[in-house]
Amino acid sequence: MSSISLADQLEDAIEVMIAEPDSSPPRVGLKIGELLAIAAELRLLPDPEFRAALKSELLGQHPTLPVTTHLDISQQAPQSRPARQDARLDEILPTLFEAGDRTCPVHRWNFAISAAIHAALIAVVATAGLWMTKQAQLTPHTASVLLTDIGAYALPPAIDKSGGGGGGGDRDKLAESKGSLPRFAREQMTPPAIVVRNEQPKLPAEPTVVGPPGLTVPPASQTGNPLSAILEPPSNGTGFGGGIGNGGGGGIGAGEGPGLGTGHGGGTGGGVYRVGGGVSAPRAIYDPDPEYSEEARHAKFQGAVLLWVIVGPDGRPRDIRVQRSLGMGLDEKAIEAVRRWKFEPSTKDGHPVAVQVNIEVSFRLY
Amino acid sequence: MKALENQNDERLQVAAAQEDPARFAELYENNFERVYSYVARRVENREEAQDVTADVFHQALAGLPRFEWRGLPFAAWLLGIAANVLSDRWRRFARQQEVVTDDLEQVGIEDDVEQRAMLHQLVETLPDDQRRVIIRRFVGQKSLREIATELGRSEGAIKQLQLRALQNLRERIRSNHV
Repeated sequence: MSSISLADQLEDAIEVMIAEPDSSPPRVGLKIGELLAIAAELRLLPDPEFRAALKSELLGQHPTLPVTTHLDISQQAPQSRPARQDARLDEILPTLFEAGDRTCPVHRWNFAISAAIHAALIAVVATAGLWMTKQAQLTPHTASVLLTDIGAYALPPAIDKSGGGGGGGDRDKLAESKGSLPRFAREQMTPPAIVVRNEQPKLPAEPTVVGPPGLTVPPASQTGNPLSAILEPPSNGTGFGGGIGNGGGGGIGAGEGPGLGTGHGGGTGGGVYRVGGGVSAPRAIYDPDPEYSEEARHAKFQGAVLLWVIVGPDGRPRDIRVQRSLGMGLDEKAIEAVRRWKFEPSTKDGHPVAVQVNIEVSFRLY
Repeated sequence: MKALENQNDERLQVAAAQEDPARFAELYENNFERVYSYVARRVENREEAQDVTADVFHQALAGLPRFEWRGLPFAAWLLGIAANVLSDRWRRFARQQEVVTDDLEQVGIEDDVEQRAMLHQLVETLPDDQRRVIIRRFVGQKSLREIATELGRSEGAIKQLQLRALQNLRERIRSNHV
């Protein structure tokens, strides 16, 4: 039998078998019979496309399957991942429990570090109340005291000096000449003069200097500056504003104002007025507290700074000096604060005058 | 000894698939023909056999976490599921078939099932032109003429390819048995 006829015979038998599957197999030779038996088995050969499709379907659904295990660790495959305890966790934290599709490896330490940082932040926020309370205990409190404040009452006039001074002159080329002082009075009508420029004043008045009225000095033949060493020729001095000396303001001496000496604003004794003797105390009307320095706050340093201050007739402090230092930046903080203060100025005889006061600035931590 | 090694390999494959369902592919590849042949022998219809086979593998994948190794091959567990699916199916269609359902773990792997599974696997090893003819002829139920037209060959050439394919399968079955 040729191979062609064998192929034909086989095909004929297969044709019958496929067309009539329930009929008995056709009678064929042994060789054909073996091949026909194999062909009969092939009638139910699975479709390769079905095989591949089912595989894709099965593998495509695995991420949603609940996965738990009853096997011991020893039974796990070498390449298998660690057992998961709860499939729900996979859904909640897929990056931690290695569920789902990933393009990068899972590093559980990253999760642990992230969790620790979040826990620390939550702890900081949760304890912020205690924290802030402790800080509040260290909040600086400052107090400033005007040590020379004696209230709104002006002291009665004193009979001795209370500070102050004056000076004058009429821009002469010569220094003032020596002489005796004019009478002290509370108010000055006419400044003293050695060389009288106006011989016929319309309203004559006795020359005086401002100072304690009860203060007397030995009389001399002519008016002048008793401290001057020049006897002749007579001169009112190189100052300005009338009076005698090289100052200004109608007094006698090198100061400013209608008093005597090197001070300011009238009176004698030099310097500015001090409270008392008819000089009222200035009253602070704007006194912001100083700040605490960072250095002192960290060191929990406390204390008080004593400042020497002149309060001018305009009510503003000037010439601020530290009399008792505290350090740690608190001196500067105290000066900085007091410099911004505003006072109702001291008055003498109803006129605002510069006055020297002491101010204590306290720094406390409660 | 080799059987023991295979059993250990299969056990590792099962454990891996229980941890990672993506590893189920290996078990599927190793057991598809076995399950399909078991089902096909009982339903004698390709479409129904494919439906049942699909049900079996879906149930197997879903129930894999509950699988416990008891010394039987994994295929026995799959065939137990297949017996269950067939039983349900026949009950639904009120057909009287004798299927062991009481002790599904005891469902054995019959020799003819193994032979048919082996035959299906051998088809995949045929040369491409022969395999294409076999698939079209027995799966597609196409005539030689239709196959010749599709593949651009003569009807006689297709007939020869069919003959050589079946002869090849016979030789390979024999060599496997030896």
